[in-house]
Parts: sequence; C-alpha cells; structure tokens
Amino acid sequence: MEHLAPIIKLGGFRLDLSALFMIVLSSVIVFILCRLAVRNLSVENPGKLQNFLEWVVDFVKGIIGQAMDYKKGAPYLALGLTLILYIFVSNMLGLPFGIVSEAHDAEHATFLGMQLFIDGHHDHLAFTWWKSPTADASMTMALALIVIVLSHVQGLRRNTKHYLKHYASPSILFFPLHLVELVSKPLTLGLRLFGNIFAGEVMIGVILGMGFVGIPALIAWLGFSIFVGAIQSFVFTMLTMVYISQAIVHEEDH
Amino acid sequence: MEYAYLAAGIVFGLGAFGAGIGNGLIFSKTVEGISRQPELRGALTATAFIGVGLVEAMPIISLVLAFMWAQ
Repeated sequence: MEHLAPIIKLGGFRLDLSALFMIVLSSVIVFILCRLAVRNLSVENPGKLQNFLEWVVDFVKGIIGQAMDYKKGAPYLALGLTLILYIFVSNMLGLPFGIVSEAHDAEHATFLGMQLFIDGHHDHLAFTWWKSPTADASMTMALALIVIVLSHVQGLRRNTKHYLKHYASPSILFFPLHLVELVSKPLTLGLRLFGNIFAGEVMIGVILGMGFVGIPALIAWLGFSIFVGAIQSFVFTMLTMVYISQAIVHEEDH
Repeated sequence: MEYAYLAAGIVFGLGAFGAGIGNGLIFSKTVEGISRQPELRGALTATAFIGVGLVEAMPIISLVLAFMWAQ
C-alpha cells in the first residue's frame, strides 16, 4: 500500500504537514538536548551530557580548523554546531517507527478541519505523519540555500575585492564556469542530503514489504542508515565550512 | 511509460557504475597510504569516508530520479 504525504493547499502553495511537524519536532529535540547539556555546568565534575556536548564542540572546531584558519572561522562555530546537531537528529528521527493515519474517502481526509490535497485517485488513503524532515527536498534545499547565501554575503562583506575578482579568474573566459558553480553548489549540497535520507526511507519501505524474510535485511539497513545519517550531517557541515572559507579567505593569507 | 522504466534503469545503472569505480579508487589509494604509513590509519580512514560520502551523492540522486520516473 502506498503512503501519501499529508499536503494542504495554503495560498497557492502545497504545504507538507508531516515535514512541517517533523521540522518543529527536531528543532525542539535539539533545543532540549542542548539546554539539558548546559544546565549544571561544572569544571571539576562535568556530567555525561556536558562531556558529550563538549566533544561535539571540539569536533566542530576540528571541522572548521580543517577548512580554514580557526581564528577566521571562530564566528561560524555556532552555525556549524547548529547544523551538525540539527541534521543528525533529523536523519535519526525517521528511522525507529512510523505513524500512519487512514481515511476511506477523500472527503474524510482532513486535518483540523483543513482538507488534505490528494493527487490522483486512490482506493484506500493512508497518510504518513512520521518521517525524517531531511527526507523532504524543500527542507534540505532551504538549508543549502541558507548556507550558500550566507557564504556569498560573507564573501561580499569581508573580502569584497577578492570575492568579485575570483569570478574572472584565471581569465574572464572562465566566468560562465563560475556561474555554473554558483548554481551547482546549492543544488548538490541540498540534493545530496535529501537523496541519501529519502533513498534510505524508500529502502526501509521496500524491505518492510518483504515480510518476515526481511528482518535481517532490515537490521543491516537500519545500521547502515545510522552510519549514512552521521556521515551526511558531517559532510554537510564540512562542505558549509569549505564554501565559507572559499568565499572569505584569499590566497595571500596562506 | 515503458521508456520511463528503461530510463530509470539506465540512470541508476550508470550512477552505480561510476560510484563503484570511484569508491574503488578511494579505498585502493587509502589502503596504499595505510600500508606506507600505518600510523596515519585513523586520519586516512576518516578522509576516505568523507570521500565516500561525496561520491555516494551522485548514485543516490540518480536513485531518487529513477524512483520518480518509474512511479
């Protein structure tokens, strides 16, 4: 049975309610996690969560240090920390279980009085409410756009001359190539994250369809999904730092 | 519709083909590097997995495209 996304139409836009709900939920989880970790800060006797968060901060510092001089990159520590925690929690959220609601015909498919939008004809309607927010293309493209716009704005503000000059380097003939890069950077950054997590969830669906035979395959695939989710959050944060350093660092600094 | 299935198969097949070559190159060079300098094993493995994360993007994007077309 195919599961539909609960989509409402709001002012001409199609709004995916499950993605919206999961975005809020993962933000709340990250917020609570960080608040709990910094609740009883102590130097002599740090708690387990404090140790964990300190390790994450050191890890992100390492990522920034690899991409650029840490003195230049220090302002982006909070950005990197937010990205890695949020994307990791988002990737993990969709794995353990699913929530599905059913409706027998299109008129009864409502949420808080709002009619859900249904594409095409289906005999039996089932809406999935629980998934990774990063398994939604608009969500990951929004993240990628935030990061790329930030890197260009930082390049324009802090490194104006060299940033503008790099569009015509090594010669003006390369300008079209730089334009392609301008588009391909956010596209690959967003689609990489979306594709990995979405393909993972599709595979979970396929394996679940196999019945009892699929149990070992499901265990193996869930383990692999945890690995992929961690790697992707790390890669996203690292590429963010690399793009920012490309925009704000110029050659004479090396 | 049949052509859409064909396109999906070709796209995913070629994506997997390229990614297979790419992953093979990454790990062959990593093993080479570790055998030359065994003390760098940790750093090399970490870098190799970053490379795999980057390489895997293309076949996964083609997988998503294939699913979209084959529906």
